[in-house]
Amino acid sequence: MPPQLRLNAVAFVSPQNHPILIRTFVQGQDELKYHYIAHTSLDVIDERITAAIASKSTECYLNLLYTMEDVAVYGYMTPLKVKIIIALALTDAVVRDADVLTIFRALHTAYRQSVANPFLRLNAPIDGYNDHAILLAAGSPKWKAFRKRVDDIGKAVGVVAVSA
Amino acid sequence: MASNAQRVVVTYAAPLVFLSTDHWKQIYASLASQLPLRNLHWKATTRPTIRTIQELDVKLVSLETLREDQTASQIPQSILEKPLLNIYVFICEDSEAYKATTRKQIKDWHATVSQRKNQEWLLVHVVRPDQSVAQGRLFQMKTSVLDKVKADFNTDKKDRCVQLVWSADKDNPAVWADLITKIKDGILSAFDTALTQREEEVRRSEGQRQMPGWNFCTFFILKESLASSLEGMNLYEDALQQYYELEATFFQVLREKNLSWFGPLITPSSSDDYAPLLAVTKKPYRDLILANTISVFDFRVYLLARQCALLSKLGELEEVCQKTVAFLTTFARTLRDVEDTLPPFFIESWIYSSALSVVDQCDEWARPLEMPKNELASFNAAKGELVELARQQLDVFGIAAHHLPNQPPFSLSLPTSYSISKESQVEEASKTISKAELATALKDKDTFYELYVSVTNRAIELYVSAGRRKFALKLHGSLAALDVHRGRLSNALQTFTSLPAHYSPHGWTSLEAFMLNRALDIHAAAEKPKDREWIHILLHFLRAYVDDMGKDLLLSNEDSEAYVAKLVQALKDAAHELDSDTPYPDHTALSMSIVDHDAKLAETRDGSLLKVIIYNRLPCELPVDEVEVQLAGRENSRISFTEKVSQLVPGKNEFTLFCPSSSAGTYTLFSTEISLARLHFQWKHAKTTKQIRAGSVPTLVRIPRDTKALDVRLKQPSRIELGTPSRVMVVLWTGRNDVATARVQLSAPSGIQFRYQEAEVTGEDAPPIRKDDESITFLDLKQGQTVVAAVPHSDASSYHFMRVNITVDYVTTSEPDVTRNLRLSRVVATALPVAINVEDFFRGTRLFTRFTLSTTTHQHVRVRSTHLLSPNEADGVKVTSCLAQKPSVVTITPAQPGRFLFQMDANRGQAVRDPLKLQISYRMLREEVESLIELAVGEAVSETPALERLRQDMVDILVKALETDASWVELYGVTGELVVPGVKPDEDELGAGLRRAMEILNTRRSPASYGEWREIVIPVDVPQMHILAAARLEILENPFSHAKSQKRTRPLYAGQPISALLTVTTSFHWTPPEDTQVESYAMRYDIEDLTQDWLVSGRKRGDFVAKDGETFSVPITLIALHHGELALPKVGVTALPIPGEHRMRSTVIPGCETHQVHGAEKVLVLPRGGRSTFVVNMGVANTSM
Repeated sequence: MPPQLRLNAVAFVSPQNHPILIRTFVQGQDELKYHYIAHTSLDVIDERITAAIASKSTECYLNLLYTMEDVAVYGYMTPLKVKIIIALALTDAVVRDADVLTIFRALHTAYRQSVANPFLRLNAPIDGYNDHAILLAAGSPKWKAFRKRVDDIGKAVGVVAVSA
Repeated sequence: MASNAQRVVVTYAAPLVFLSTDHWKQIYASLASQLPLRNLHWKATTRPTIRTIQELDVKLVSLETLREDQTASQIPQSILEKPLLNIYVFICEDSEAYKATTRKQIKDWHATVSQRKNQEWLLVHVVRPDQSVAQGRLFQMKTSVLDKVKADFNTDKKDRCVQLVWSADKDNPAVWADLITKIKDGILSAFDTALTQREEEVRRSEGQRQMPGWNFCTFFILKESLASSLEGMNLYEDALQQYYELEATFFQVLREKNLSWFGPLITPSSSDDYAPLLAVTKKPYRDLILANTISVFDFRVYLLARQCALLSKLGELEEVCQKTVAFLTTFARTLRDVEDTLPPFFIESWIYSSALSVVDQCDEWARPLEMPKNELASFNAAKGELVELARQQLDVFGIAAHHLPNQPPFSLSLPTSYSISKESQVEEASKTISKAELATALKDKDTFYELYVSVTNRAIELYVSAGRRKFALKLHGSLAALDVHRGRLSNALQTFTSLPAHYSPHGWTSLEAFMLNRALDIHAAAEKPKDREWIHILLHFLRAYVDDMGKDLLLSNEDSEAYVAKLVQALKDAAHELDSDTPYPDHTALSMSIVDHDAKLAETRDGSLLKVIIYNRLPCELPVDEVEVQLAGRENSRISFTEKVSQLVPGKNEFTLFCPSSSAGTYTLFSTEISLARLHFQWKHAKTTKQIRAGSVPTLVRIPRDTKALDVRLKQPSRIELGTPSRVMVVLWTGRNDVATARVQLSAPSGIQFRYQEAEVTGEDAPPIRKDDESITFLDLKQGQTVVAAVPHSDASSYHFMRVNITVDYVTTSEPDVTRNLRLSRVVATALPVAINVEDFFRGTRLFTRFTLSTTTHQHVRVRSTHLLSPNEADGVKVTSCLAQKPSVVTITPAQPGRFLFQMDANRGQAVRDPLKLQISYRMLREEVESLIELAVGEAVSETPALERLRQDMVDILVKALETDASWVELYGVTGELVVPGVKPDEDELGAGLRRAMEILNTRRSPASYGEWREIVIPVDVPQMHILAAARLEILENPFSHAKSQKRTRPLYAGQPISALLTVTTSFHWTPPEDTQVESYAMRYDIEDLTQDWLVSGRKRGDFVAKDGETFSVPITLIALHHGELALPKVGVTALPIPGEHRMRSTVIPGCETHQVHGAEKVLVLPRGGRSTFVVNMGVANTSM
């Protein structure tokens, strides 16, 4: 029987390292932990990015960032430098990159669809250099669709057995 | 198993006799010195690329010493266990000797060696160099020995015989090259064959995995032999690959839950929890594996240790750390399943010791390596992770032993399924845990804290050197939390107040809020005074709290709203105790927006009202005192709307703010402020130019004009007298209020100074004023009163217009507490609308002055009258205006200037000639028409009082109509009738009013009958002239008649001489007073050459002395060159320089003006007279008849 991945938390971080959305799917656990994880991951992501630039890699998937207590933290950076960080429950089994990548792609799609919402720009300042405010707005509780999409993915990861 | 010692084995053999010689020993030593081998290029048959082995250590053993019994073992050993190459060394100087003995020896050796599987052999023929040097026969012989050997043994293509030309005294490395190459080839070839074979075995075994009877452990040992073989060949990467494959296979087996080949998951021995993780020798792992009794725990540890050992040889220390972290965390989870069977805290203790031991081991490995900077950083980061992992175990220990509270951040490290352990377990653990420092720490609080702090600091240090700031921050946070628990509140407070600054810049409000929340709690716990610092922490906290994510993590309180409400209440108290104003910019909990961008007038009093909405995002009411909005107008003027407010409820609060002193205009929102006692929440809204360019436009607020509020206007005085200080008229109208004081200040950006001290109030009923250097203050003004004050100012003639900023501070009698401030910017014209040119014509005692008035703008100017006034009639200047009184008003247009002529008659020799004054009474056409319209509309309104409110509209409509079409101007100019073009009144009240007004306008009227006239007084100097010459050329009847005959009787003929008399009458009448003493001037006359008309004979040019009133005359003769009506030549008269007088290094020429008395005269010249004879033929009488 193939092992199941369990998604503990998802974090979207803007290119300027502002958190866009942090969702946790674990009951009874401190959210603080996942906020910490998301925040500290940025350091590791920075290291990976530097390495990626050095090797001229354009890979979005940043692989396992680090493991900590009972979670494994994976990173992904969209071509527009939005960082997606997920915390998977740690299992003593090989986690295949392909599976993680599937989750990341789904999350990326959810993010893209949410940011495409034209109404996000409704009250945003029209100046270009402040553009990331719109990204941040996507994660605010005012816009439920993004949260819902991410939650759906979180649920789906838990239910669907990852193809072995 | 000593796999590290595994080396490639090469055997050597030689004839026994030879082996015992010194010569052999020398050869052996020299050969050994050539080792280890370098730069082997292995072209593997099963691998796609060439592997290069930098260095390969080779063990030389004698063939005899090699034991053959190992082949008996069933356990697959490394293929390097057996020799890869066998060398036979022999000396044979001639073929006879070879045939006799050597061949036999070689044959024996070859027989044993060639049978062996996967081994190569090599024959080395040692030759003395002196032999090779000697040519000829020996050479022949020598070759023949090697050839023979080759022929006998080397049957296949591969050359396995080599000659070594060597002697002890000539130890040249070059001689070894051939042999070494052969050795390399041999080793690689043998290795390749052996490895291929072994790989084949492994593959076969793997393929049988699903078959019954397959044993993972056997497979493991087999495959591991591959790895150790590769490792022995220094092919670490390939060796590592084998272990990775093994690991993968293991997981596959694990997934199939087929662990029958293993012992229990773990059989903890006493030292397991602290033995160095990466030591492969700490247990007889291979034996355990072979016995199928190895526990999964041990197996995994062994696998990891082997991998790490290989990684360390590759220098991949960072990966070692990462692997161990991953292993420790993942395997710990597996162990959790069987936690009950383990000693208490075995897992934690194991992780702790292992993590730290790995760090030490890595440091050990890293010592000889020199890492580049970035690699070192990531290595440090990886080590940091390990140390942090160890630290997390301390969290667990601490909570279990009640050294730490079970709450974040310590509780974050607890496993998901953690249950609070019993005292007994801790007690027991302190005995079972073998790591001494942990055991004592469990028992002793202080030791534990010390350990905790030192481990944490170690992790922080590593993270910092790795550049992982955020990890370090997190650990700092936990140290602070420890400080809190230990009661070191001030330390903790310091950390917690400094940490949020690291989280806030990137919007990590959740973490920021957590830190601030901590800081507040500590502040409260430490019972520190709620001072300014506390307020700042609190405000930061509230700011993070209202952020979406901030709320998520409010940990210490169940009912966060009540908690915040309590804080806010405390904030109020604290704010009241502040000893100085404390601004707090841009707090996000409150936001203010302007509802209506058009301010309303207060109507009943001066001032305007502005509606704003304040959005309070806090969950509780916020007590405040005052709300203020500042607007910025032109020239940096600011007005502020304020309102006293008691509190802000959560959500929207709508307020109407009042500003008592609001000048009309458009303003930008500058700043907003909400005050709570001395705490001021401030927001700046002013935009920089860059922001505006980027499209972030400022918020605009329009304040309408209050027509009934106090107003100040500036006018040009209606009478301008050039030469006296310029003045500006300040017209102040009180509007609806009785004004107690009104202080007016004027300032001009162009730097014009106003002299308030010289200001004068004009008009009847002038109120008392106070004057100082900076302002003029009007006192006790009645409602609706207009005061006019003339304020002199410095010269502004270089500007056409003067921009004046007016500031009025006034206090009404009804609201004596409010000082209203009115800022206005007015423009007042300083330039005159007309330009004046003067031309003077002297005629004897009279002077004719012509003034040309032209407009300086495009506007028409109406001039009612001009007067040239003499200041004093008695001093002898008599001015006569020669302008007729009708038409009374002259219109000056840009195309048509107006000319005004005056005659002056002055006596000679006034002591002082005061300047005359030209007084022009004028007005602009626009002003005139506007006042006419006002008049007409006023008349219409007085007939129908209901129109009063439409008055301004009517005026505006009419003025606009006149502005758009200029066709009315001409008719108006002539008749005074104003026909307004293009207005089509509707059938309503306004229309009726307009019709009536237009009717009134359409009547004929004299422009002098209405409106005000402006006046300019211009001083005009009476011109002066030293000499006034009147030249006359007079035709005389004959050369001798001196008398001036009034009537000339003789006609003039062309070509005939005509006598003429030139007279120049000079007058010093207009001589400047200072030069009246001069009696005569030297002068010169010059008759103009009119070569087409006249020939002049006589003194055409000459000098003479002019005296006042005297006439100089000279006769000349003129000859007209043709007949016709001819003008007489003109006479130029110039003054000569006054001899001996110099001014400014040039000669002084007195002023002189000449007029031609005969200028208008012409003479009729007849054609030359003479007789003409006409012959008339009378014909011959009767000849033909």
